[in-house]
Amino acid sequence: MIIKVLLSIWMAVIISAAFLYAGAAAGFPGQTSRILFFHVPQAWIATLSFLLSMIASCIYLARRSVKTDHLALSAAELGLLFCILATATGSIFARATWGSFWNWDPRQTSIVILLMIYGAYFALRSAVPDPEKRRVFAAVYSILAFVTVPFLVFVVPRITASLHPENTMNPAKPGMDPKTLKVFLGSLLAYTGLFVWMLRLKIRLLRLEGRQEPEFVISEKLKQEGEKG
Amino acid sequence: MYSLKLSNICKHYTGTLLFKDISFELRPGEVLAITGWNGSGKSTLLRIIAGLVRPSLGKVEMFMGDEPIPKESRRKFLGMVAPALALYDELTALENMDFFCKVRGIAYDRESCLNMMERVGLTENANKTCRNYSSGMKQRLKLVQALLHSPPLLLLDEPGCNLDSNGMKIVEDIILEHRQLGMTVIASNEKREVDYAERAINLSE
Amino acid sequence: MRSGRWITQNEPLTYLNEATAIWLRDLRGEFRTRYAVNSILMFAVTTLVAVSFSIGSFRIGEAEKPFLCSVLLWIILVFSALSGLSRSFVKEEEAGTMDVLKLSARPQAVFLGKLFFNLTLLGALQLIIVPLFILLMNYKIASPGLFAAMIISGGLGLGAGTTIVAAMIAQASARGALFAVLSFPLLLPLMITAIKGCERAADGMNTAGWPEVRIAVAYTVIMIIMSLFLFPLIWEE
Repeated sequence: MIIKVLLSIWMAVIISAAFLYAGAAAGFPGQTSRILFFHVPQAWIATLSFLLSMIASCIYLARRSVKTDHLALSAAELGLLFCILATATGSIFARATWGSFWNWDPRQTSIVILLMIYGAYFALRSAVPDPEKRRVFAAVYSILAFVTVPFLVFVVPRITASLHPENTMNPAKPGMDPKTLKVFLGSLLAYTGLFVWMLRLKIRLLRLEGRQEPEFVISEKLKQEGEKG
Repeated sequence: MYSLKLSNICKHYTGTLLFKDISFELRPGEVLAITGWNGSGKSTLLRIIAGLVRPSLGKVEMFMGDEPIPKESRRKFLGMVAPALALYDELTALENMDFFCKVRGIAYDRESCLNMMERVGLTENANKTCRNYSSGMKQRLKLVQALLHSPPLLLLDEPGCNLDSNGMKIVEDIILEHRQLGMTVIASNEKREVDYAERAINLSE
Repeated sequence: MRSGRWITQNEPLTYLNEATAIWLRDLRGEFRTRYAVNSILMFAVTTLVAVSFSIGSFRIGEAEKPFLCSVLLWIILVFSALSGLSRSFVKEEEAGTMDVLKLSARPQAVFLGKLFFNLTLLGALQLIIVPLFILLMNYKIASPGLFAAMIISGGLGLGAGTTIVAAMIAQASARGALFAVLSFPLLLPLMITAIKGCERAADGMNTAGWPEVRIAVAYTVIMIIMSLFLFPLIWEE
């Protein structure tokens, strides 16, 4: 509860700072560079949750505990959400600076593939009626998808030719305005906090939904009986 | 010396409990019958023993002497006949047998396959494609398939279904012969088949 | 007929023997029913005719041809493959033979057998479609060796990437559309690679090293190894 309040205050501070405290970066039309504070953390969360979902899937296959499957599913759902957000904010920026919403820039290509993988993952989940099989198949698919992702590095070799403003706005490089850097890092923190909070909420929801299923009740009861006897 | 051990097997599916706390041990020379109303989970229990379905709770173990047989290789030690287990329709009976021998890593021996076909009364139809078989003939061929690798454990799910009186006689012969050395589990409500079993588990109770 | 005939050897060779048995059985069944080959080939031929009829060999300028024809060729190949490569597993499920196969064969052998079968289908598909495409579209290829290698390695990758997906969707509901939906994201890197490789072969520039062929081969090897690890999990309950 206290986390929720702190998070919302922090979020509000970051949003105000993004528009009022940090200056617009030079070399970009108007105020467009401010998208950095929102778009980049969203993309970061989308990637992080993809990774998290894959790791949870691996653990699920090894241990077969429903909890890790809940983690994998929640991470994938949030990943899809942030993926869509990153795509939307990205194409708004693309329209403002490059002239069109969509032009198959390498970054756009890779995020579309990520979107398609998420879409396929949920399509698979909804198509397998048996819950046990559904979890195994989803885990296997997410591992397979993860394995093919590195090939995109070869496939999209013109990554240097990308219009994506990496070199001008890379926070790791010196030369970024210190105010911008502060707000950017703060925003990264805020988004990660938001992600963790939403993730825990989603897992709790899945657990409660699972509890309504009679099979879960029965197996729990039987387990307790087994421990007593 | 083989043995089969089930401990506290429970299966529930989409919210309904099929059965729970099924435990038994089976040794060579023993026949166990599983009875129960339709939908009581007879077939599911056999599929759990065969390793086709994962039990919700409990475990199935098979031993060679005291040595446990790993789950992955359990298939080598069991033969199964069930209404849901179909053979390849577009192949002839002999081609089916040939395939199952090769896939199990047994040398295909046409003579001994023909002998087994004769035993179930399919000699004349050995080279017909199974699509043209009647359901009773298919059932007979399934029996051959289950016995092909001489498994120590035989799982029979309604072995007499679709069979005429001759066919029933063949099933009885097979059960009697297998009883001498192997373990048999029969899931059926047919009195003639259940009578061969020393023990019975009723899933409806 | 009595106890003692089962063999418990585990050498790799026996995997190959069993896989070959499954492969040959599938071929024999396919030869008698033409369950998969009809749908794949008809799909491919229909698309090829549609493309050739509507675009023809003169509408694309010579400068654009190496790239555009390569794109069209791979779209035809990939989507024809997606229309039918799941059939061998789906048929096992529909005919009720999946369980008997699970009971008699080791999962890795099943995977390899089905992979060989799918690769055979793909080989047949390419053997018919690629020459026809070259003729109909008047597609000039400057470096035939690289082109052939790209077609073959791309085909291998296509089979390696889709076989395990086919095994999954065979056990799911709504099979038809799901196969393409699940396979496509996995195949996209391979498809882009193959398109670039064929473009390079057609215009004949910078062909040294065959980088795309090497990527496709690496993709194939990795997908096969991953599938061999993961297949038992989806095959056995």
